[in-house]
Amino acid sequence: MSLGYVVSLLYQYVDTLAFLLLAALGLMIILGVVNVINLAHGELIMMGAYIATLTYNRAHLPLPVCMVLSSIGVGLFGMLLERFVIRRFYDDKLGALVATWGVSLILSQGTLLVFGPSMQSVPLPAWTFSYGDYSFGGYRLVLFVIAIAAVLIAWWIFYYTRLGVRTRATMQNADMARALGVDTRHIYLLTFGAGSALAGLTGALYAPTTTIVPLMGSQFVDVAFITVVIGGGSNPIVGALTSAALLSLIATPLSSTLGTFSGRIGLLIAALVVIRFLPRGISGYFQDVRYRHMARVAS
Amino acid sequence: MAREYTGFWRVLNGPQEIGRGPVFWCLFAFLALGLLAYPFFGSVFALSNLANFCLYIPMGLGLALLWGYNGVLSFGQGAFFAIAGYVYGIIAGNLLDIPGGTLLAAVGGIAASAAIAAAFGYLVFYGQVSNWIIPLLLLVLSLILETFMAQTAGYQWRVGSVLLGGYNGMTNVPSLEIGSANFGGASIAFYYLVVALMLITYLGLRLLVNSHYGHVVVGIRDDVERTRMLGYNVALIQIQVFVVAAALAGLSGILYVSWGNYINPSSMGLLAATLPVIWTAVGGRSSLLAVLLSTVTLRWVADTLAVRGGEYAFLVMGILLLVTMLFFPAGIVVTLARRWLHQKSMYRDLKQNGAP
Amino acid sequence: MPASSVSDGLVVLGAKDLTKSFGGIRAVDHLDLTLARGELRCLIGPNGAGKSTLFGLLSGLHRPDAGQIVFKDEDITNLKPFQRVRRGLCQKFQTTRIYRALTVAQNLVIADRTPRSSRRKNGRLSWALSTLGLDSEGEVPAGELSHSHQQWLEICLALATEPDLLLLDEPTAGMTPEETELTAQFVVNLNRQGLTVLVVEHDMAFVRYIAQRITVLHYGRIFTEGSLGEIESNHEVRRIYLGER
Repeated sequence: MSLGYVVSLLYQYVDTLAFLLLAALGLMIILGVVNVINLAHGELIMMGAYIATLTYNRAHLPLPVCMVLSSIGVGLFGMLLERFVIRRFYDDKLGALVATWGVSLILSQGTLLVFGPSMQSVPLPAWTFSYGDYSFGGYRLVLFVIAIAAVLIAWWIFYYTRLGVRTRATMQNADMARALGVDTRHIYLLTFGAGSALAGLTGALYAPTTTIVPLMGSQFVDVAFITVVIGGGSNPIVGALTSAALLSLIATPLSSTLGTFSGRIGLLIAALVVIRFLPRGISGYFQDVRYRHMARVAS
Repeated sequence: MAREYTGFWRVLNGPQEIGRGPVFWCLFAFLALGLLAYPFFGSVFALSNLANFCLYIPMGLGLALLWGYNGVLSFGQGAFFAIAGYVYGIIAGNLLDIPGGTLLAAVGGIAASAAIAAAFGYLVFYGQVSNWIIPLLLLVLSLILETFMAQTAGYQWRVGSVLLGGYNGMTNVPSLEIGSANFGGASIAFYYLVVALMLITYLGLRLLVNSHYGHVVVGIRDDVERTRMLGYNVALIQIQVFVVAAALAGLSGILYVSWGNYINPSSMGLLAATLPVIWTAVGGRSSLLAVLLSTVTLRWVADTLAVRGGEYAFLVMGILLLVTMLFFPAGIVVTLARRWLHQKSMYRDLKQNGAP
Repeated sequence: MPASSVSDGLVVLGAKDLTKSFGGIRAVDHLDLTLARGELRCLIGPNGAGKSTLFGLLSGLHRPDAGQIVFKDEDITNLKPFQRVRRGLCQKFQTTRIYRALTVAQNLVIADRTPRSSRRKNGRLSWALSTLGLDSEGEVPAGELSHSHQQWLEICLALATEPDLLLLDEPTAGMTPEETELTAQFVVNLNRQGLTVLVVEHDMAFVRYIAQRITVLHYGRIFTEGSLGEIESNHEVRRIYLGER
């Protein structure tokens, strides 16, 4: 096993980690705060990719600008979605699932009808470097940096801003937060917008790496959903990070040796096994451990 | 004024389903007879079409049982439908010269779906997971299965002498044959098989949901903890219901391949997974009858759209789903039925109290 | 007026050294409790004394950090709640937990676990339903019942499981004095028919009516035990309730 091979595995790990994080973080934050699963998440990612691609190809704006526009555009759409659809399903997780699935169908089929089965994509920035026998694309390392930055920014907002305090209060006990003057509906709206903006950004970031088709969201959602299931909604940021780290650890050797399909099936099996023993996911488990530790300390 | 029924009729007319009493059953019998007599005045094409719409009913009713009566949303019924179809194709294709081979294949197909459902159920229900985890994982399962099957083109992808066929799927799947009867898609035998299975499934499930077991199933839906504290092994019951729903989806799958002699990965994909959810949500998941009606109706709608403008089919379905969830959360058929019953009882009250 | 005991002395429940903490709070602290068959025991204590936690441990909702529970000579410490109910240990909860959307009749159908073929009339249940006036409310959705009727329905659901030990967690919460007395009479009559009952109650009128033997809990431990007279004249008990010096 040459050092080059190890570096190549490391690269794949980091690449997969970034993909999982970016695909799942927005979804998990929404789950943790608003307590709903948005099945249209994949289509929001697709929207981000389409907006970036269209603005790049038609308006000829620089790529980073297109990506920011995607993020903002999808974020605004997310807030509309929250206001007109999600709001009716605060207490009905399954209802939210089905309703957002309807939205997902409308978005993907609508895109198919309006823009056709595929679209000219955005060129991938050709930043390559090589090590030993292997050459690596630099773009995906940039995505990794952006993914970590996103987690850090979310962490900072949650724990170091007033908005974050209010959001955490809403997560823990919405009634109590309302009694203390927190506008929880506003928090839900902003959170949904932020989660959607993240989804849009993900789509825009990965647009240069893949074909732009209306159903492209599905390649993101299967791993996003598994990451969410294993991470758990108790603490979105810790959950997303640990879950993505763990899942990449499982997926990288599997896909590297047996192919992408084996990687994905391995993830599903991992999710089923984890859920059997940690029904509330990793972050839920950490919460339980903290309580038990407090109990021991008290005695 | 509630009618007092005893024994079998009490279970059949129980509270868990809309449509009760002599008027309903007369209409039901009339409709059933109409279906049975249809071959005498319908064209072969019309028969085959109707059979195609109705073969999905077991799958729809299975999801109604699972989601409407047990509170477990599943996006995996399409997967169970297609797994049974593929396994049937594999077994039947390899047992071509053996009499009763297709029957064995049918049993094998349904058993495969049931077994996978049991395994999935064991991992999920004993863990007492949150209710949103199940539909998510089943969605992922459908996606992975579709992706896998789509890349099984090529000669190396075969079981015995049957090619999996990749994106184009399995073709030349033999129709079901029992004795000398061949249940091919265009045959009258197939039509009667579908109608018989549809009626048996509906009546059987109706008896089930009104039985004591059915009440416990509903109790689990309404308050899981309460049902546990009354001494029931809730996880076990949930697995049982899940397996029944999967087996019913598998039954529809078997009928499908018998009808069309082919199956392809899109039958197990995301879009196919959605369809039973749409039928159940739009009809009204709390009623078997509503789901039965909506399944046939929406299949007909999809079929018509496919002819006139296939690209719109799923867009229409998506809009229908969203509109239903926003404005008719109990389902369109169920909401209309309730309004009609409400009007009827109001009208009766007015008459009793002497309307001006 | 305290009822006379019908207990035959056989131990039906033995809890030893039970301990349970939540977060930083020790809710139940090395607690021992023994119930004889046919006993009617009241569990009282100030708020936070650990009464509901103890019930949760007995019915299996909580796993004890330490200790053992023996029910009818069987160690049930590691059994899940539904397994305990099957063995005859059933609890009526503090906040009513019934199937609100289903009718009273449907609620009772679910609670009745006997298979149809061997379904003999549950005499005790029929008596309970008619005594409490629930037998005429079969078609009413449970959520529309009055509060006291919901409480009584829940007791009947517990009775439908044919328990050997009935745990009642504040059965008269929210009831009028008349309803409280009715409930008290009912519980006494239940016990006279041979059912072992353990009751947690705050309402001293209720306790006075039914008490044979009272156990006082404080800070998760048994503070003292005795007859009604002994407890009422116990200055220490008064102190922990009222904070007197």
